Amino acid sequence: MNKKYLKRLDFTLLIATVGILCMSLIIIGSATHINTPSDERYWYVQRQGLFALANIALAAFLMNFDYKMLQGYGNKLYIFNIVLLLAVMIFGHSALGAQRWIMLGPISIQPSEFSKLIMIISLATVLNDKVGKINDLHDLMPIALYVGVPFLLVLKQPDLGTSLVFMAIFFGMIFACGVNLKLLGGIFGAGIAMLPVLWHFLKDYQKMRIMVFMDPNVDPLGSGYHIIQSKIAIGSGMLFGKGLFAGTQSQLNFLPENHTDFIFAVVGEELGFVGVTFLLLLYLVVLWRGIQIAREASDTFGRLLAVGITSMLAFHVLVNVGMTMGIMPVTGIPLPLMSYGVSSLTTNIMSIAILMNIQLRKKQLSF
Amino acid sequence: MGDNEDDYTGRLRVLGGLIVLIIAVLIGRAGYLQVYEGEYYASLADGNRIRIIPASAPRGTFYDRNGELLVTNRPGFTVSLLPLTAPISDDVKQRISDLVHVPVEEINEKIAAHNGFNPIRIKSDVTPDIVSIIEEQKDNYPGVVIEVQPIRDYIYKQQGAHTFGYVSEINDEELAKKKDEGYKSGDIIGKFGLEKVYDKELRGADGGEQVEVDVSGKPVAILGRKDPVPGDDLVLTIDKNLQLAAEKAVDEQLAQIHASAAAAVVMNPQTGEILAMVSRPAFDPNAFAHGISTKYWNQLNTNPFHPMDNKTITGEYPPGSTFKIVTGTAALTEGVVTPEEKILDTGHHWIIPKGNSEGEALGWINFREALAHSDNVYFYEMGNRLGIDRLEKYARMFGLGARTGIDLPYEADGLVANRRYKEKNFEDGEWYLSETFDAAIGQGFNLVTPLQAAMVMSQIAADGKRYKPHLVNRIVAPDGSTVKEFEPELLSKLDVPENVIKLVQDGLHDVTKYGTAASSFRGFNIDIAGKTGTAENSHGRDHGWFVAYGPFDNPNIVVAVIVEQGGFGSQSAVPIGRKILEAAFGVAQPQDEKADK
Repeated sequence: MNKKYLKRLDFTLLIATVGILCMSLIIIGSATHINTPSDERYWYVQRQGLFALANIALAAFLMNFDYKMLQGYGNKLYIFNIVLLLAVMIFGHSALGAQRWIMLGPISIQPSEFSKLIMIISLATVLNDKVGKINDLHDLMPIALYVGVPFLLVLKQPDLGTSLVFMAIFFGMIFACGVNLKLLGGIFGAGIAMLPVLWHFLKDYQKMRIMVFMDPNVDPLGSGYHIIQSKIAIGSGMLFGKGLFAGTQSQLNFLPENHTDFIFAVVGEELGFVGVTFLLLLYLVVLWRGIQIAREASDTFGRLLAVGITSMLAFHVLVNVGMTMGIMPVTGIPLPLMSYGVSSLTTNIMSIAILMNIQLRKKQLSF
Repeated sequence: MGDNEDDYTGRLRVLGGLIVLIIAVLIGRAGYLQVYEGEYYASLADGNRIRIIPASAPRGTFYDRNGELLVTNRPGFTVSLLPLTAPISDDVKQRISDLVHVPVEEINEKIAAHNGFNPIRIKSDVTPDIVSIIEEQKDNYPGVVIEVQPIRDYIYKQQGAHTFGYVSEINDEELAKKKDEGYKSGDIIGKFGLEKVYDKELRGADGGEQVEVDVSGKPVAILGRKDPVPGDDLVLTIDKNLQLAAEKAVDEQLAQIHASAAAAVVMNPQTGEILAMVSRPAFDPNAFAHGISTKYWNQLNTNPFHPMDNKTITGEYPPGSTFKIVTGTAALTEGVVTPEEKILDTGHHWIIPKGNSEGEALGWINFREALAHSDNVYFYEMGNRLGIDRLEKYARMFGLGARTGIDLPYEADGLVANRRYKEKNFEDGEWYLSETFDAAIGQGFNLVTPLQAAMVMSQIAADGKRYKPHLVNRIVAPDGSTVKEFEPELLSKLDVPENVIKLVQDGLHDVTKYGTAASSFRGFNIDIAGKTGTAENSHGRDHGWFVAYGPFDNPNIVVAVIVEQGGFGSQSAVPIGRKILEAAFGVAQPQDEKADK
C-alpha cells in the first residue's frame, strides 16, 4: 500500500473494529470452551481468529484498489447474487427450519450474509445517477423491483432477518439519495397498513416469534425460552459482570446459541453493564465513522456505499442487541464482528474495508 | 450539485442522530436490566442453577427400658428428579421408567403435580444396584438424583405396633395444620402411636446439599452442605422381653380358643410405667414406611376386628365382674356393709330375680368370700344399698369415665353408668333399680378400656395411689445427653380408709387361692391378687376379663387382659394373664414350683 495513503488511514475506525474483534474472540472462547472436547477446547476461537486475520490481510491488499472500480461490477454482482441465492434454494442445507447454508468443502457458507454487501454495491451503482430524482412512485418502482427480487429470494429461504436488513439498506440508501420525503412517508404509511396482510405470509414459527416478543411467557419452554434466558443472563451480570468464563447462564448452557446470535448476552452476563456499555460505544464509533466517511466521500457512489454499509451495521446492532434484551423480536441475525460465523465475519470485515477505502480516497481539502 | 450536497449533509446528520439514538436506547435498556433490575435477574439466574438435594434426618430410635433396640432406621435410597428450567427429555424419562419400573405416565403425573424446588420423588427404597447404575451413568440420567432417606425399621414387626405407631408421608391436611412448625411437603411424619405423639422430638432437622446444576440437571458443583441433625431417641418404659412374652401368650391363647381379638396391658402400679401393651389383631408398621400397598391396606381395612385400633386404649368394654372392686370399695367405705356381715345367696336376688351366671347359690357369704367367688347376688345387694349415684362417685374416684392421660393418641373415655347419661340418651330417661344392679356388677352402661381396668387394679395394688400411665422414661439427644426425664406422676389417691383397701386386697388374693382363678394359679410360687370378669356382649360371645397384680405383699406388676368373644374370663383371659405374670416374675414352668421351698 502506498505510504501516502497509510498516513490517511482511518485509525479510529480500525482500532474500534479490532477492539470489537478482540472482544469477540474472548467471548466466543468463554461461550464455547465448556462444551468442546478438551483437545479442541479453543477450536471456535482459533477458527474465527484465523478467518479474521485472513480477511484483514485480504482487506489490506484490496486497499490498493480504488473502490470506484466496484461501480463497473455492480450489475454483474447483482446477477451473481441472484444465482447464489437460487443455489441456496436448490442445494441448500437446512437447519432450524430454514435453508440458508451451502457446503463448500469444510466450510459451510451462508450466502445471504454476502448478499447484503453485494446488494449495497449493486444498489449504489443503480442509485449513482438518481440523486434527487426519486420523487414519485414511478421513479421508485424500478429501484424497488431491483431490490425486491433478491429480497423475496431471501424471504423464501426463509430468512426474515436478512430480508429486513435488505429493507434497512434500501431505505437508508434512498434516504441518502434524496428521496422525496412525502413519498418515503407514504411508503411507510402503506407498509404499516399492510402489516396485517404480511402476517398471513409469515411462517408459523415466525408468527410465534413475534407473539413471544410481545410476551415471552406465552411459551416459556419453547420460543420464549431464548428471550427469558437471555434477559436473565444480561440482567444477572449487573454492574460489573460475573467475570470472564464465569457466567452461569452461559457456562451451564441455560443460554442457547451463546456464541452466535446470543453472544451479546454473554457479554452482558460476564462483563456487566460496564462491558456492555464499552462494546456499544465501540459500535457507536464504527457507525459514527461510517456516517462521517459518507459525508466526506469523494463521489456519490462512495457516499451511497458508506450509507448502505452503515445502515446495514446499525440495523444489525439494533435488532440483535435489542433481541437479547427483549425489545426486538427474535429474527436470527448476528451481531456484526462479534457473533461466531465465517460468512458474517467476512462480510463485515469487507464492509469495514470498503468504508476505509472510501475514507482513503476522500475529498482532498486544502492540500 | 451544490443543492444535492446540502441535502445529503442534512440527511446524513439525521442518520447520525438516529445511530446515536439507537446506541443510547440499547445502553439505557442494558442499564435497566442490569442495574435497576439486576438483583431480580441475579436471583432468577441462581434459581436456574441452584438446586437443593435434601438429606433427611434419621428419626430418633426407640429403646426399651433396658436399652434394647426396638425401632430403628435403615439406610434407604430414593430416586428423584430435580425440577429443571428446561423440560426433562422423554428419553431420560423412559430410561428411568425402565430402570425403576415406574410407568412414564406416572412420572409425568408426579412432575405435573410438583411445585417448588425440592426433588420430585419417583421411587423410594430402591436397591443398591439401581443406585450404582445411576451414579455411574450420570450422563444417561441428567437431572436424576439419589436422595438418602432413612427408612423406619420396626424390628419386631407387628409386635408392639400399636404402641410404637407408624410413619408415613405427610398429607395435605396435616401439612396445612403444621406448616408453621416447619413441616413441608414430602416430609415423613408420625401418624400413630408414640411416633405421632413424639413426632417433634423424633424428627430431627433435615439437612441437604446445595448443588449447581447445568441446563440438563447434571450437578456440576457442590456449593454447600448442611448435615442433617438426627432426632432424639426415646427410652421407653416397655420391657422388651415382657412385651414379647405377652404377645406370645396372647397369640397362643387366641389360636387355642379360636378367638381373633384381644388386648393386654402390663404396668407398674407404683410408677405408672407401662411395661407391655398388646392389641390383636395387629398390623406391620413397616408396611407404611414407604407407601403401603393397596392390597395390604384393603386387608387391614376390611378386617372386622380392626387391626389398626389399639384396643388397650380405644377398645371400650363392659368391665364385668372386675367392676366389683369398685362396688366393694364403695360399699365398705360408705359403711353399707361390714366385712363380717353375711348375706344369703339363694341363687338370685330377692327384689329382682337376677342371679349368678351359672345359677349356683353360695348360701351365707361375707365380703371376702363374695369377692373371691365373684358372687353376683351379694354385689346386687351392695348396689341396692349404695344406689347408682354413690356407685358413680366411686367409679369416677378410680378414674373411670375419663382418659387416663397416657402418651398415646386416640384414647377413649370409657363410660360410667349414671342417671344423666340415661336421661340424655334414652327416650325413657328414668333410672331403674335393675340398672343399678347391672352397674354394680359391671354390666349395663359401664364401659372401660383395658388400660382403665389395669388402672383400677393398680390403685388397689398401690394402696390407693393412682399414677399417670406413661410409655416413655427418657428422651435422649443424639449426643447421649438426657433431654427430658419422666418421673412418676401421682394423679390422685383413693379417698377411702386403709383397711378398706386391705379388705379388697385380701378378697382379690383369695381369687387366686380358692376363688374363680384358683385352678389356673395352683402352684404359682408368687402370691397374686386377681379378678376375673365376663363382659356381656350383645353382638356375640361374651368377652373374658382378667386383672391381677403381684407379688401380693409388694406389688410391682399389674396385668389387665381381655379376650373379645372369649367366653368366661377364667377360661379365656386368665391363662394369658398367668403366662404374662410368669414372664414378669421369671417363674419358669408351673411344674418347677416345687423347687420353691
